[in-house]
Order: sequence, then C-alpha cells, then structure tokens
Amino acid sequence: MRVRNPRRVMKWVLFGVLGLAGAYAVLFGVVLTAMLQTPGRFGQFMKRVPAGLVWGALPAPRMWLWARRGDLAPGAQAPDFTLPRHGGGGDRVTLSSYRDHRPVVLVFGSYT
Amino acid sequence: MPALNRLYRDYRDRVEFYVVYIEEAHPIDAWQLSANLTDDVLVATTRTADERYQVAGVCVTKLGIELPALVDEPDNRVERAYTAWPDRLYVIDRHGAIAHKSAAGPFGFKPADVEATLKRILEPAPEGTQGSLPH
Repeated sequence: MRVRNPRRVMKWVLFGVLGLAGAYAVLFGVVLTAMLQTPGRFGQFMKRVPAGLVWGALPAPRMWLWARRGDLAPGAQAPDFTLPRHGGGGDRVTLSSYRDHRPVVLVFGSYT
Repeated sequence: MPALNRLYRDYRDRVEFYVVYIEEAHPIDAWQLSANLTDDVLVATTRTADERYQVAGVCVTKLGIELPALVDEPDNRVERAYTAWPDRLYVIDRHGAIAHKSAAGPFGFKPADVEATLKRILEPAPEGTQGSLPH
C-alpha cells in the first residue's frame, strides 16, 4: 500500500510522541510532588491513583528514595526525643540518656 | 522481623534497641494494600495517643517483635525529624551521632547494614595504630 501523504503521517506520529512524552512528564511531576507531601497526604493520593500506574509506568522506587532522603546525614547529631515505652507502665525513654554509654538502634515502622 | 530479633538477641548486652511505632503505612482509610486485606491486617489511621498505643501493642504481638517498643506521638514529631515513614533503620553511636541511616523503606530496610555498622563501631581500635601514618 502506498502512503498518500508521508509528511502528514509523520506529523501525526510526531504529535503522538510529543503527547505521550507530555503525559509522562505530567504524571512524573504529579507523583513526585505527592511523594514530597506528608505520609498522610501521600497515602490519600495513593488511595485515588492506581498503584500500577505509579509503580509500573515510572521509576517510582528511585523517585521514592530521593523524595524521602531526609535532612539527617551520617555523622550529624541525632535529634533527641522522649517517647512513651509500650508496656512500660508510663515509662518514657529519652534518646540522649544513652549518650556516652551505649549505641542505640532505632527501627521505625508500623503494623501495615 | 526475624533478622532484627536475631540482631537484638546477639547485641543487646552492648547496644540499646528500640522499635519506634509510627504512623501506619497502609491503613484501611488511606492506601490499603490488597495483601493486607488477604492477611486480615486491617487497621485504621490512629488519631489519638491511646489508639496509637493500642495498635502498637497489636503490632508487637502479631509480628512477634522481641525488641522494646516506643510509640510516636499523634503529631508524628519523631517520624518527621527522622523522615522515618513507612519504615527506616538508624544506628546512633555512643556520642549521639548518626552512624547509619538506611535509605527510605521499604526499599532501604536492610538489617544486614545495621549489623555491619554495629560491628564497625563496637570494634576497638587496634593497639598501636592510632596516630600512625600509612607506609
């Protein structure tokens, strides 16, 4: 079959490629902006967006590691805190109380 | 969790360990995972200190956590200070400085890196090496 107007076909192919690139850039920007929000807001965002679109179409793990890199660097002083101990009958633990005594391992996480 | 329980048993005589229970990663009222539905792991976002304390207890029991647990405040102040959500590992040395900070979870949650750091910071400096120049 002979293409009647190759220039016109090329134009539509170009529009298609540009459209896809634009849509990808918008998706990338929206998801990265969501990742930079508080966990609660990001959770609400992910509730409304198909997870396959985020984790399948984008380099989402790398975006996530960048968005959640945080301000603390190795060698910096760890921010102090005092928190209640579960099952401790009202006991509270202060991180700085271990300074000059023992290293501390902190495992942050939740049930889900 | 088994890897962290083993680390805890191996090092607790020299190192303090704490699980810090923070804001839920996949509560039923936000980004719920189908795997959690299948496993009947259904928890709503905790709004008060009492709710958080209660779910922390369920978490410790169901996941078989042997480490002592602390509970972050409902304003998530410690999570924010450490950019800890959804999970993250830190080692604080005896001077109060950060010796190891994992990458953000779930991708960066690697207990083996914690053990490598503990071995490094607990190891005494070899005698006669301080202040010497390499040949």
